[in-house]
Amino acid sequence: MKYSGAAPLALLWALPLLLALAMLLPAALDGEAWRMALAHPQLRPALALSLSSGIVSTLLALALCVLLLAGLYRSRAWHRLQALAAAGLAVPHLAFAIGFGFLVMPSGLIARLLVGGDVPPQWASVQDPWGAALTLALALKELPFLLTAGVAVLSRGDEALRLRQECRAAASLGHAPGSTFLRVVLPPLLAALRWPLVIVFVYGATVVDMALVLGPAQPPTLAVVIWHALNHAEAAVNAAGLAMTLLLTAALALVLAVAALLGGRTRRAMHRLLTAGPSPLQAPRGLAAVTGLAALAVLGLVLLVIVLLSLAPRWPYPVLLPPAFDLTAWMRVAPAPLWLSLLLSAAAATAAVAMAVLWFETQAPRRDRWVIGLALVALALPQLATAGGQYRLFLPWGLTGTLAGLFLAHLTPVAAYVLIVLAGPYRAFDGRYVAAARALAATRLSAWRRVKLPLLKAPLLSAAAIGFAVSIAQFVPAQLITAGRFSTLPMEAVTLASGGNRPLTAAFALALSLPPMVAFLAATLLGRPRWR
Amino acid sequence: MALTLESVSIRLDGRLLIAPLSLGVEAGETVTLMGPSGSGKSTLLSFIAGDLEHPFAASGRVRLGGLPLDGLPPETRRIGRLFQDDLLFPHLSVAGNLLFGMPRGPHAQRMAKVEAALAEAELEGFGDRPPHTLSGGQRARVALMRALLAEPRAMLLDEPFNKLDAELRQSMRSFVFQHIAERRIPCLMVTHDLADVPPNGRLLLLKDGVVTHA
Repeated sequence: MKYSGAAPLALLWALPLLLALAMLLPAALDGEAWRMALAHPQLRPALALSLSSGIVSTLLALALCVLLLAGLYRSRAWHRLQALAAAGLAVPHLAFAIGFGFLVMPSGLIARLLVGGDVPPQWASVQDPWGAALTLALALKELPFLLTAGVAVLSRGDEALRLRQECRAAASLGHAPGSTFLRVVLPPLLAALRWPLVIVFVYGATVVDMALVLGPAQPPTLAVVIWHALNHAEAAVNAAGLAMTLLLTAALALVLAVAALLGGRTRRAMHRLLTAGPSPLQAPRGLAAVTGLAALAVLGLVLLVIVLLSLAPRWPYPVLLPPAFDLTAWMRVAPAPLWLSLLLSAAAATAAVAMAVLWFETQAPRRDRWVIGLALVALALPQLATAGGQYRLFLPWGLTGTLAGLFLAHLTPVAAYVLIVLAGPYRAFDGRYVAAARALAATRLSAWRRVKLPLLKAPLLSAAAIGFAVSIAQFVPAQLITAGRFSTLPMEAVTLASGGNRPLTAAFALALSLPPMVAFLAATLLGRPRWR
Repeated sequence: MALTLESVSIRLDGRLLIAPLSLGVEAGETVTLMGPSGSGKSTLLSFIAGDLEHPFAASGRVRLGGLPLDGLPPETRRIGRLFQDDLLFPHLSVAGNLLFGMPRGPHAQRMAKVEAALAEAELEGFGDRPPHTLSGGQRARVALMRALLAEPRAMLLDEPFNKLDAELRQSMRSFVFQHIAERRIPCLMVTHDLADVPPNGRLLLLKDGVVTHA
C-alpha cells in the first residue's frame, strides 16, 4: 500500500521530469552546440530583452501587489481583492496577451476611446523594440497570481490570525496602519512570496507564447530565439537551442543569486528601518482603491475586446462599437483542437488530483518536502528546459506525436501546481474527524468517502480547477511534443495571432478563456459547504 | 493622570453585552474586572484601546487625564496593552522588539534604554536573540518591557497570565504590577482567575452584562 500509493506520482510525473532534466546534461557538454549558440548574432540583445522584461515585470507586479495589500489589509474591501485575484487568475496568459494587444494597438480600443481622429495614431504600442507592451502585460497578468498567494498568507489559518493580533499590539505601541503594515506584515509577507516571485520571474523571462504575440521581433526575446531554434528542421540548430536554454537558465539563476545577496546585504539597514520607532505613516487606502479599480478595468476591457472582436466581421477605425455582429468566427473555431484541449486538460487535472491524493493518503507528511521540492523545481525552471529535455527523452521511446506523450508533458506543470496548492489544506486536515468516524464503526474507505472527502471538497475542487487552467494554457510542451501531429487551442491561437484574421484570433482567445473560467466558477459553487 | 469610563456600554448585533458602566482608575492603581469568558470584558478593553472590531458597537466616553479619547485611532492613544499571547514579533530580535514602540531619537540613547530594560527583566545579553529561543516567562517579561518602553499613559491587561505555567504565574504577577506601579499610570485588567487580583487592588465583577463591586 505504502509504495503503490507513491507509484503513480513517481512513474508518471517525477520520473519523466527528472529524466528530462538528465537529458539536458549531454546538451550541456555539446561543444559544437555551444559554439553555434554563442555565435548567434542576436544572443546578447535578446538575452538583455529577456532579463529586462522578466525583472521589470516581476518588480512591477510585486509593487502593485504590495500596494493593494497594504491599502486594503484589515479594510472592508479586503474580500473584493480576492474576487479580483480569482477573476484575473482564470484568464490564460495567452488570451490575456491577445486581448491586451487588441486593447493597446494603434487601432485598438484605447486609441478609439482616448485619441480618435480619422486614422489610427502612429504608436509602437505592440511589439515595440523595448518589450514594454510585453513587460506591462506580464506584470498585469502576474498580479492576480501574487495577490492570490499574498491574500492566502494574510487571511487564512493560524498565521493570519496571529498577524492580526500582532497588528493590534503594534497599534498599541504607537504605529499607524501604514507603519504597522511596513514593519509587521510586510516582512513575513515577502518571505512567503519568495517562491511565487521566483516562479513569476522565471516565467516572465522565458515566456514564449506571450512574447510571440506582444514581444519585439528584431531582435526578439531570447526565449523566442530559442523557440525558433528548437523548432528548426536541423538537429544541429536544435542542439544550439538547448544550449541557449541552458545559458538563459544560468543567467536567471545568476540574477536570483544577486537578488538573494542584495537581500542579505541590506539586512542591517532593514533592521534599522523596522525598529526606528513609531511612525504616523497611514495605509495607502485611496491609491490602492484606484489601482485595484484600474487593474479590474484593464481585465474587463481585455475580455470585452476579445468578445466584441470575435463577434465583429469588421470594425473600422475610429468607431467605438462594431457596426454589425455575427457568429462567423465562432463557427470557424475548429472542433478538433477545442475537444483535444478540453479532454486533455480534464484528464491531466483529474489524474494530477488523484495522484496527489494517493500520495498524501499513503505517505508520511515529512516526505512531502521531496515532492513539493520537485514541484517547485518544475515551476522554477524555464519550460523551454523541461519541455526541451522531455522532447529528447520521448523521441527514442516513440512518445512524440502521441497522445500519451502529450498527456505526460501536460502533467508535468499540472501536477506540480496541484501538489503545491493541495499540500497545505490536505495536511492541515484534522485527522480526529476520521478517527471519530472510525469509532462509529465506519470502514476506512467509507470514513474517507463520507467524512474526509466532503470536508476537503473545496480545496480538492479548486486544485482541480487550477490544474485544468494550467493544462489548457500549455503552449511550449504541446507544440514540441505533438511534432505536428495534433493541434491544441494555444497552438492555434499563436498561429492565428501572427496572421491578420482578428475575429478568428479573438474567437480562439475566447475559446481558450471560457473553459478555465467555467472551471473556476464551478469549483467555487460546488465547493461551498452544504451546512452554511 | 486617571483613566475614566463614562457610561460605556457594548452591544453585539443589538444585544446589550455590557450595560452602561462608569468607572475611574487612578494613577498607580490597578483595577481588576472579573467575568466568565464571552462576557465581553476583552471587548471592553478593545473599545478603550480604540480598535473595536466590526460586529461590536459601543457608546459612552473614555477619558485619559481628563481628555476625551472619542474617535482617536489606537496608535495615538498611548495606551499600552498586554494580551494572552506575548505577541513578540518573530522577525525581530528581542532588542528589535523593545525598540519597536520606543519613541524615535538618537540610536545610542535608545539602545541604552534597551539595555536598561533587559537588565530590569534579568535578561542581560539576550538582546540579539530571536524571541522564539526564549522561555515563556522570559518572553512575557520582554512583552511587558516592550509595552512600557512605548511610554504609555495607561495600561490594559487582557488575561496576561492565562497561558503561563502555574509556577511562573506568581512571580510574573508581582513583576508586572511592580513595574506598572512604578510608572504611576492607571491600569485596568480583565481576567477570570481570582488569583490574578493584586493585593489591595480593587475588584469588579461582570455578570450578565452588569458590573458590581466585589
